[in-house]
Amino acid sequence: MSGVALRRPRSPVAERAAPVLRVMHRYTFSFALVLTLVLLGWNLIRTPDFGWTSQLANFAPLAIAAMASTPAIISGGGGFDLSTSPLMVFTTAAFTVWLVPNGYGGAEAVPILLALGAAVGAINGILIVRLRLLPVVVTLATFFILIGVNLRMVEAPLFVRHTWLTDLAHNVGPIPGPLFLIGFPLLAWILIDRIPYRRMLMAVGSNDAAAFSSGINVGVVRVAAYALGGMFAAVGGMAILAVTSTAAANVSQTYTLQAIAAVALGGTHLFGGRGGLFGSLLGAAAIFLMSNLLISFNLNASWLQVMFGVMLLVAVVFVGIGAKSVEAR
Amino acid sequence: MTTLDEPRAPAPVTAQAQESLVKVAGLAKAFGATQALRHCTYELNAGEVHALVGENGSGKSTCAKILSGVHAPDGGEVELFGAPMPAPRTPRAAQDLGIVTVFQEILVAEALSVVDNVWMGADSVLRARVPVKEKRARARETLEELLGAPLDLDTTVEELSLSERQTCCIARALVRRPQVLILDEATSALDVATRDRLFRIIRRLTKDGAGVVLITHRMDELTEIADRITVLRSGETVGTLDGRGWSPRELVRLMAGSDRVTEDAREQVEEVPRRGACVLSLKGIQLAPDRRPFDAAIHAGELIGVAGLEGHGQDEFLEALRGNSGGTELVRHIDDEDVVIRSPQQAAAHGIAYLPRERGQAIFNWMSIRENFGMPTLERDSRAGWLRTSATAERLAAYTEKLGIVLRSPDDSITTLSGGNQQKVLLSRWLAADPQILVLNDPTRGVDIGTKRDLYALLAALARERLAVVMLSTELDEHIELMDRVLVFREHELVEEIERATLSRESLVTAFFGQSEEDGA
Repeated sequence: MSGVALRRPRSPVAERAAPVLRVMHRYTFSFALVLTLVLLGWNLIRTPDFGWTSQLANFAPLAIAAMASTPAIISGGGGFDLSTSPLMVFTTAAFTVWLVPNGYGGAEAVPILLALGAAVGAINGILIVRLRLLPVVVTLATFFILIGVNLRMVEAPLFVRHTWLTDLAHNVGPIPGPLFLIGFPLLAWILIDRIPYRRMLMAVGSNDAAAFSSGINVGVVRVAAYALGGMFAAVGGMAILAVTSTAAANVSQTYTLQAIAAVALGGTHLFGGRGGLFGSLLGAAAIFLMSNLLISFNLNASWLQVMFGVMLLVAVVFVGIGAKSVEAR
Repeated sequence: MTTLDEPRAPAPVTAQAQESLVKVAGLAKAFGATQALRHCTYELNAGEVHALVGENGSGKSTCAKILSGVHAPDGGEVELFGAPMPAPRTPRAAQDLGIVTVFQEILVAEALSVVDNVWMGADSVLRARVPVKEKRARARETLEELLGAPLDLDTTVEELSLSERQTCCIARALVRRPQVLILDEATSALDVATRDRLFRIIRRLTKDGAGVVLITHRMDELTEIADRITVLRSGETVGTLDGRGWSPRELVRLMAGSDRVTEDAREQVEEVPRRGACVLSLKGIQLAPDRRPFDAAIHAGELIGVAGLEGHGQDEFLEALRGNSGGTELVRHIDDEDVVIRSPQQAAAHGIAYLPRERGQAIFNWMSIRENFGMPTLERDSRAGWLRTSATAERLAAYTEKLGIVLRSPDDSITTLSGGNQQKVLLSRWLAADPQILVLNDPTRGVDIGTKRDLYALLAALARERLAVVMLSTELDEHIELMDRVLVFREHELVEEIERATLSRESLVTAFFGQSEEDGA
């Protein structure tokens, strides 16, 4: 109870901006949505033959990495999952090194890989919840361990022969194949809303004391969040295989930071309790489209990084102002 | 649980051998070195409202939290619904037994909607236990009954007022149709009309055979609804009163304990009045919206106590004194000059030193005692930009002696000191800056009795040297022993100023709980 300051009156400018900010606060992804639409429009103007299917295929790994990083962050309590990107690559390694040679390269690989991802995520979660360790530290440890394991498993990049998986990079009938991959986590997220779990996750992330005292098993909810993220990461691994047709250990870290940037850009609060997969997807889309655009302008790659940084700052500032506008009521 | 239409008098008031819902005996619980609950005995019967009262730290909330599965007791027997059993281990377990609690803290998930907050935790992870339609209907009905008007179920809770948020917490308990309802100061943020509606619901619940544990510090609530009142003092049950035959005086006497102790202690600091010129004044300060504004003046050489039940505006008052006065005019009188203070920085620059409640907010954990001591006065010890550690060390040595700080070497880390000694180092840090006004937020919390004595003596000595001392304390004896004047806060208003002459445990507790002193102290 210390540090309670008395409240000051608000300025008229803040009063006028309040409704907009409140919408932004409620629909946390709105900034990313606008940004994505603008960037998409600009992209389409610059390159009329956009090539939807191949663009989506290239976009899929980042998009899924961002979505896979989201549940842990939403679960609050400093929730964070740095191991998503190496876990994706670990999935590719498991597929090419373990499953394919043993004749499990068909559709039966899907549940196996999903379970594998979920298991790794659950281990993260159990370590964090049971031992009360800092999520950043635990998942950083997993991050390094997985990178090492990946290097052991695929010493040189392994080529994957033409299978159902690589087909997903192209059109399946009239539907672009990558949509199945990107759609999986989204669909799962929507389905989870049909059971009480997703609300519990939001409640735990928003106020774990309230959740605990009202009877929610906070630990189980958090572990499940990490497991869910791990499962989505496995889908991300399939996306990498689909796009590159290779399992290569050197891409282990590729998506780590961009995925987290996409989550933040998508409006998910890094302290938990607010946000969702849709926002992260849009955040990833904004990053992807921005780099596309800058490349089409032949800009130096270093500017790309600067632009990501600026975009992220602007987004985080907006989210912060939106939250303040509601708090101050 | 069981059917309850057996012999029951028209109004279920008296507590004879009725069906017992909760029975605890010799309940004990310690948190580290603090014994929160020593020997709590309490019984709740079906059909009654049994209040649990006591001053700060008497153990009411601890008892409630044990019954609701938040804390595990260290010892004692628990009997629930007539059968001996261990206390519930989680809130979930308690709820499955039919024991539902509304906690003192307003526990809501701000990002979620009203209906989700009301039904939070009622489902299992994979399957809803109550269909959505019924959830909405019951939430709507309960909220409307509490608020007297419908509340939009789909707004997020962060858009609600404090009173409405607390109503959501209460509704969360009510929709579960509890057999035992524990209200732990759950009415503190409610407006009067809502509270009355809640009491109406409580009467209905008890008539249907439920029991209600009511923890409150408001006499009027006790008069209105309590069938029995159990009084806790320092973690022990000291008595149970019948809800109809009690007088406020009797209750206050039970809560406060005898005032024998106070007379001995008072001799310690026998003083002539030492009030000097006014050094700091506040005009028309409001500690919360819609609360009565008041003025306050602090005089040199005065020891002022800030008292009240926890969370009744004392912290806000101290914040205002240290410069966070939210637009109210805080004036520092220096000789003949008046300076308006607008920020804590300005306050510090004009001789107002503030010692926060959490030592952690003021301590640099990884640094030595000397560095911790010297932090705000480093400039003074530097020459041409170079620090002269010897100067800091000399001053520290002086204070070490004056305050009786026990330390091995000033270069040891501050964390090697006991809490009391850390507090002394912090105090000397500010004293070294030569303040005229010292604002202390509960400085003796968690400090051993010997160090407390040292601090009291020091504060008295400082006051003799014309320093004004304002000190928030949650301990009654501290006020009685030390203060020239005690400001008592209730519901974010200054309700009473008690001068030394009339200061006693009883006068303080009476003021805390808002009963006028009709029969003197």
